[in-house]
Amino acid sequence: MNPNILLIPILVPIIAGVLTFILPKSVKWGKEILALIATAITMYYAAVIFKAGGEGLRLFVPWTSFGINFDLWAYHFPKFILLAAAGFEILLALYTASFMDGKERSKEYFAYFLLTAGLANGAILSNNFVLMLFFWESLLATLYGMISIGNKEAFKTATKALVISGIADFAMILGIIFAWHLSGTLTMSEIHLEPMGLGAAAFVLMGLGAMAKAGAMPFHTWIPDAAIDAPLPFMAYLPAALEKLLGIYMLGRISLEMFTIHMNSSMSIFLMAIGAITIVLAVMMALVQKDYKKLLSFHAISQVGYMILGIGTGVPAGIVGGLFHMLNHAMYKCTLFLTGGAVEKQAGTTELKKLGGLFKLMPITGVAFWVAAFAISGVPPFNGFFSKELVFHGAVETGKMIFPIAAWIGAIFTFASFLKLGHATYFGQQSSEMPNKAPKDPGLAMTIPMLVIALGCILFGVYSKLPLKYLIQPVLEGRAILEGHAGHMEFWVFHLNWIVWVSMACLVIAWLIHQYGVKKGQGQAYLASEPIHNLPVMHTLYDWAEARAFDIYEWFVNGLLKGAAWTVFKVVDRGIDAVYERLIVFVGGVATGVLKEYHNGLYANYLAWVVGGFALLVIYLAVLVK
Amino acid sequence: MGWEFSLLATILVPIIGAFTLPLIGLASKPGRNAWAVILGLATTFFAVTLLPAAFSGETHVFQRAIGLGVDATFVVDGLSVFMAIASALISTLIIIYSLGYIKDYHYQQEYFLMVVLFLGAMMGLVFSANLILMYVFWEITGICSWRLIGFFRDKEVVIKADKAFLVTAGGAVFMLLGFALVYAKTGTFNMLDMRGFPIGGLAVALITMGIFAKSATLPFHTWLPDAGVAPTPVTALLHAAVLVKIGVYAFARIFNYTFVIPGDWQTYLMILGLISAMVSASAALIETNIKRILALSTVSQIGYIFMGLAAFNTIGVAGALLFILMHGLAKGGLFLAAGVIEHGTGTKDITKMGGLIKAMPVTAVAFIMCVFSIVGVPPFGGFFSKFMVIQGIIKSNHIAIGALAIFTALLTLVYLMRLFTLVFLGEARDTSIHAHKEGTPTMVWVVASLAVLSLAAGILVKYPMDLANIAVRDVLGNPAIHDILGVLR
Repeated sequence: MNPNILLIPILVPIIAGVLTFILPKSVKWGKEILALIATAITMYYAAVIFKAGGEGLRLFVPWTSFGINFDLWAYHFPKFILLAAAGFEILLALYTASFMDGKERSKEYFAYFLLTAGLANGAILSNNFVLMLFFWESLLATLYGMISIGNKEAFKTATKALVISGIADFAMILGIIFAWHLSGTLTMSEIHLEPMGLGAAAFVLMGLGAMAKAGAMPFHTWIPDAAIDAPLPFMAYLPAALEKLLGIYMLGRISLEMFTIHMNSSMSIFLMAIGAITIVLAVMMALVQKDYKKLLSFHAISQVGYMILGIGTGVPAGIVGGLFHMLNHAMYKCTLFLTGGAVEKQAGTTELKKLGGLFKLMPITGVAFWVAAFAISGVPPFNGFFSKELVFHGAVETGKMIFPIAAWIGAIFTFASFLKLGHATYFGQQSSEMPNKAPKDPGLAMTIPMLVIALGCILFGVYSKLPLKYLIQPVLEGRAILEGHAGHMEFWVFHLNWIVWVSMACLVIAWLIHQYGVKKGQGQAYLASEPIHNLPVMHTLYDWAEARAFDIYEWFVNGLLKGAAWTVFKVVDRGIDAVYERLIVFVGGVATGVLKEYHNGLYANYLAWVVGGFALLVIYLAVLVK
Repeated sequence: MGWEFSLLATILVPIIGAFTLPLIGLASKPGRNAWAVILGLATTFFAVTLLPAAFSGETHVFQRAIGLGVDATFVVDGLSVFMAIASALISTLIIIYSLGYIKDYHYQQEYFLMVVLFLGAMMGLVFSANLILMYVFWEITGICSWRLIGFFRDKEVVIKADKAFLVTAGGAVFMLLGFALVYAKTGTFNMLDMRGFPIGGLAVALITMGIFAKSATLPFHTWLPDAGVAPTPVTALLHAAVLVKIGVYAFARIFNYTFVIPGDWQTYLMILGLISAMVSASAALIETNIKRILALSTVSQIGYIFMGLAAFNTIGVAGALLFILMHGLAKGGLFLAAGVIEHGTGTKDITKMGGLIKAMPVTAVAFIMCVFSIVGVPPFGGFFSKFMVIQGIIKSNHIAIGALAIFTALLTLVYLMRLFTLVFLGEARDTSIHAHKEGTPTMVWVVASLAVLSLAAGILVKYPMDLANIAVRDVLGNPAIHDILGVLR
């Protein structure tokens, strides 16, 4: 097969995106058709590329000097991610066509949408670090553009997202340069390093960049803001699906291919700690949210924790679980955001207080929601259950029990918050404050993507063997990580052991918490999390979080960075300028003043100067020059 | 057309042509404007015709005695041709832009004379292979910039122009002392004869003062933000394209190409570049005057170029040379966009602006494109140059400096986004400011083309990179130098 077809998933969306920009406004449905055609072509070629056997396809064209080559390589791992990304791209193009119809700047949105698709596909296929960064960082520009299309205040969130992603990307660049310095090559597949010394720094920096792309803490804080300010399809597209795929894929490449992370090594603990912290803190924030989209956005952060925890275990079961969770998460979280968009468009609000009783009015949306909600909560037999169990198994295998316990705590509150969300939105009484009194299911363009992905959540659960065997497991084949685990490679075989029972117990606890909360809130489901919200210490912490005390952007960029800059400006920059403006002017003034005193126009004075000078000259000649 | 003819034409066409401009201006203003553009285009054209000579791999030397025992020695190699094309291209775009900007002001005759003379002096400077010749052109550019900054004749403006002149000329005096020290050891000012000669720390320090004063690098940088009182095309010319790059070029020609400097001075120079980059980036985060912010940003980016050159390895020097071009394009675009904004709103205070994207969509989009290039976001050109400079720093085993250079890139992102957001987004904060329209078509056209060139230079990075590589080969290509460097390290 001609390796040039690797260019199609990159160039076709990018060209379509550029065309969308210059498309005249008068062309009706032009941008939608362009987007659907481009994503359909991408999808088809992603499938063709996926089917290509052997070592996969490789396109190598020298680009410029210093080892910077246009090097694309579709072996199993990128092929599978490309296929997944292409699937989301086409479904979201369909959904967006309906959602953004008639909205201001929708043409621009489609242009960014397509550019993002092409750039993301490029980042997935790249096998040269500079090429990868070229695509990866270009996504900053489209990210900024997409968020800024939202409401009036969206540009602030867009800037915040850009700066936070920028911090992470710069960290990644530094890590890549370290890796290049150690290995002497920019070709990704040729880099094999030990995470020690500068290598450890390279791993941590690159890992941070990848995890931040996926939305891990502490690089997450723009996501909940974007949930409110950015157009909704953006949330389903980037934070829910594409960024997870990209970030976890890159983390996988870094920690499986470029470095090998051994169980309980310091790098493994580092990853697991970030994973565990992200799971617990983000889910606690999600629990108390009272807005549909904002609640989902915190789960988009929390779930990344499972993926990072799984990959960080350094145990095959955990890694497989983490990667499978990435795929599953992209599916159910995408569905959840799409239902959120349907509710927003049809009911006119996403505030839980103003919703309720929608299941009867919007049954298709309701079904899609509950499938995805069960999947994210790890209810069997949906897909999330299987990937979470694998992560639990991996975490237990490391012997550091704090990590599986954190994961289980996350599971409890995930289910509790989705019971709250689902209860408050779809059951109970319809709120009298709902802006649209008689909402109904949206049109096919919006329901088809929801249902297709929701169906995927069921299939990937019931037939979890298929994705595990054909998509995930080949990623690990031949890797050093499998040494000593040869007998345990059938991850699709389900073991009913104590770990599963603990997980089931978590679901029951969540159910009880929810029932208790609803009772306390006098039957108002949206208040179900208030008992936890009002716990003594928790309440203070929540208040701080609401005041953005934990927001890296607020305290680091707006606080520390600006404060330090102000000090440097006042002390160093203005200080140096004062030397020119004040000191030199002053010294010059004094010097000329003194000299002026001696130029008083008196003949005797000048005569004395001449005589004195002559005397000095005589002494000089007489004494020194002999 | 032989390379000798092209060389002389590149230098003499703008220098002689500059003095014909006022004469033509007496007869016809449009004629003079057209002639100025033609001179710029012709200079660029002749510089481009030197490319084959540069690519040929040989160093072409032009040497003629001009009396008083001084030789006019010019060198045509990758480095000089690269600098000549980069500066002439950007200067020409700026001359075109200034036709629209300057048309309502007094002293246009002097303006065009000085701008074109500046270009000619710059061409003479980059081809000079003799330290004294270089110094002469160096001071001509200083005089031109002094008149250009003082274009508006208010007292405060004239003081700022004097400040700029005094700082740069004062630095040049120290540089001359440094040259004298070198002469005392070698007995020649001809750089070609001195290649590979090791010089001492004192000479490096003295020459560096001249370079840093011209390039507005800490602690000689404060004249540059103050020079923002000049008309916008001048600030763009001074900052982005040419004047501050003179110091950079001199660094490459003197320290990288000609002499071998002590090993610890390589580290000192890199640290000085870093401090300059960090301090001015911090200041840019606090300032509220759009031109001062951009000027400080220039100071900051020049710091990167010095860091790349001070890495003394192929990738760092190549990145630094590429940086000269990328920064020139993008920062030129930003300054000229700032001119459009100032023209439209009548203020430079960004805290009074806001929401200008509605009135000036093309300028806004061009502005953000240039911002992304300066920050180093692909697909814009600035990404490659910044990436390679930091690669160079790390490769020279200055890990901490590399990390802080990345941190400075983050600062750059923060202050430029603050600038963009305050100027173009949200609502206008001072309702007395009304901007209903874009600048003149010529102005907007130039701004947009600089933005597009920044993008093209990223996607088609191969071509500028090839040129930079030729320059690097010439700069570091002397095998004798490598031997000496090997001993020193």
